[in-house]
Amino acid sequence: MFNRKALMFGYSNTTKFLAENLTQELHYLVIIVDDDESYQAAKKAGYRVKLLDITDDDVLEELDVEEDDYLICVMKDHYINVFLTLSLHSLFPKTTIIALSDSYHATQKLKMAGATRIIDLYQVSANRIHNILTKPVATKLIEQLFSPEEDFSFKEMLIPENSVLDGIMADDFDFSTYGIILVGMIDKRLSNQFIFITSGLENRFDVGDTLVCIGYNNDLEKFETYIKGA
Amino acid sequence: MFKELLTKFAYFLHSSKRYKTIKTTFSNFLLNADYEYKKYFDIFMISLIVVSITILVYEVKNPVPDWVDFFDIYIVTTIFLIEYIGRVWVHNDWHKQVVKEVGEAQFLNRDISVWVPTKEILKGKMKYLLTPTAIIDLLAILPAYRPLRVLRIFVLFRVFKLLRYTKSINQFLGVLASKKFELFTLLFLLIFITVTAGIAIYVFEQNENENIDSIFDALYWALITISTVGYGDISPVTAEGRVVSMIIIVSGIAMISFVTSVIVSSFSEKLDELKENRIIEELNKKDEFMIICGYGQMTRMFLRYYAEEYDKRYIVIENDKEKVEEAIKEGYKAIHEDASKHDVIKRFNLQYSNITLLALTGNDIANIYITLNAKSLSRKIKVVARARTDKMVKKYQLAGADSIVRPNVIADRMLYTAITQPVMYKAIYAILIGKNMALLDEVNLDDSELLVGKTIEELEFKKQKLLCIGLQRAGEGGEFLFNPPAKTTLEELDTLLVMGRKVSIEHFRNIYKKVKYV
Repeated sequence: MFNRKALMFGYSNTTKFLAENLTQELHYLVIIVDDDESYQAAKKAGYRVKLLDITDDDVLEELDVEEDDYLICVMKDHYINVFLTLSLHSLFPKTTIIALSDSYHATQKLKMAGATRIIDLYQVSANRIHNILTKPVATKLIEQLFSPEEDFSFKEMLIPENSVLDGIMADDFDFSTYGIILVGMIDKRLSNQFIFITSGLENRFDVGDTLVCIGYNNDLEKFETYIKGA
Repeated sequence: MFKELLTKFAYFLHSSKRYKTIKTTFSNFLLNADYEYKKYFDIFMISLIVVSITILVYEVKNPVPDWVDFFDIYIVTTIFLIEYIGRVWVHNDWHKQVVKEVGEAQFLNRDISVWVPTKEILKGKMKYLLTPTAIIDLLAILPAYRPLRVLRIFVLFRVFKLLRYTKSINQFLGVLASKKFELFTLLFLLIFITVTAGIAIYVFEQNENENIDSIFDALYWALITISTVGYGDISPVTAEGRVVSMIIIVSGIAMISFVTSVIVSSFSEKLDELKENRIIEELNKKDEFMIICGYGQMTRMFLRYYAEEYDKRYIVIENDKEKVEEAIKEGYKAIHEDASKHDVIKRFNLQYSNITLLALTGNDIANIYITLNAKSLSRKIKVVARARTDKMVKKYQLAGADSIVRPNVIADRMLYTAITQPVMYKAIYAILIGKNMALLDEVNLDDSELLVGKTIEELEFKKQKLLCIGLQRAGEGGEFLFNPPAKTTLEELDTLLVMGRKVSIEHFRNIYKKVKYV
């Protein structure tokens, strides 16, 4: 994760939030804007920022983008956001493009334009309202999981070489001793897809599998250290 | 002594829960349009009226068996009488007035007068007895008195009684009442033309026309002609009389057109209101429903995904007429009103239904006002409000919102997760939208004797392919136990948070059948 870069297109509260919270996660993060006002504001706020004509493919092509990087499209104007997504997808087809949408129709267009993940502002909010009404306790928990400020979260852990977990069946391992819950995993032996632990499949931990656990940050870190041990 | 007894009796009634329950039940059946069982009572009364009228018509030419007569005279009439007395009874409360009088007398240090409140109550009841509907009710009872056969015609008042139970006739009369001024003006014009034409024809033809003997004949002819009915039993014979005829025929057609246009325009004006009233009435009969204020992007998205789930238990209130039309076109239930108005929210059944209000307009000030408006009417209303900025959250809390949704914050956090934990993002996304493979559900223990007292260990979640994520202890400040230890005992009113496939959760439900899902 740490050797990855993120290029964020657009300057808004979302960009600020991400810029402030992702510094620990990524080794390079830059905000790209297309107007001088945003450029000056971002610069004044202390962010790494570039002023570019994002509608020009030649300019975009010159950006240093690797396959593992993230391209985040959060332009205020959704016409430009869709156009930018399309341009980026045609130039860097294997790179993950994450886009923010503010309408159902824009979401459809962003999908067609090639965005890898689309966060629809209103869809996630509609889901949240429904969950508040039907599952208040669950919603509260999910809210905590999503909040970077909480000491309670989820973590993805890669089973390294020589891990103590290597070769153990998922059902035979008691996670509660470590105060955490295994929600699911990518069991490379079966597929590259994420599988919920409650799906009924017999999962075995092997080197290279990814575990997704929830718990208190301390417990999660302790467990990660544990699985790295030989 | 008598005064003391009456006061004691009034206090007895005032404190008697049983009396209160009986009176409320009667009142609900007779007067409360939102009471879910009232429609059965109305149907029963309509059936009685129809049967009674059928008997009246049938017995004109045919003899009826004694038991039918007995049913009509005693059973039907007794039910009408009980209903009549019931309506007079529930109209106002004598004991409340007496208790108020005692309170006032003690405060002012004066003698208690039982007569003053009794007089007030009697006045109120008398006022009710003189209302047209109460008079119709009374006249509908009279046909039971057989010695006076003429009273049989009062059975027709049983037809008028139908007005009480049929909304559509009432609504029609309501629409006519709203155009009272126009209709009365036309009626006076009709009287004026009829009388003038009647006098004219009388003057011109009294000596020429053998069918016109009196002014009554002339007025009768004028009315039959102006109404365009024209029986033909009286017709003008002189040229002057024919001119009068022509004038009143033209006036008649004009007048009929006027009356029709007044009624039609009145209906089209009231149509939306009538439809809205019908929607609200339907909703008010439900135990729980949702009021969604504003039809913007958020509401559209919410209804696109969840309208079916909430079935007919929601209504959209929007003050932009175009948006309302758009919502109706999309197939949603929407009315054109301003949700921040006191009277609009007051139309809903705040007392009996569990109402959730979603304040989802794009304007924080409007949402806060809507929240305050709803909470000022009933603290029971659950308000979920949308806040545009973080700065507004505190204000929403002060206004009494139960939950606040901040779309930008949610989206920012989702973006953050999508970057930092891409695998988990998919998982959480699936959980959030409740996909079949990973349902995160709550199991309430409020009425389950089967789960109460059991330990987490005993429930064997793993065996049932479920994950026990947490346990919410009862009460507002109840503790949330994440990943509860195996020996944790479940208590009454706790909520279990479990995750698994829908089928696994269903299976869990079948084992503990009394488990209630939220």
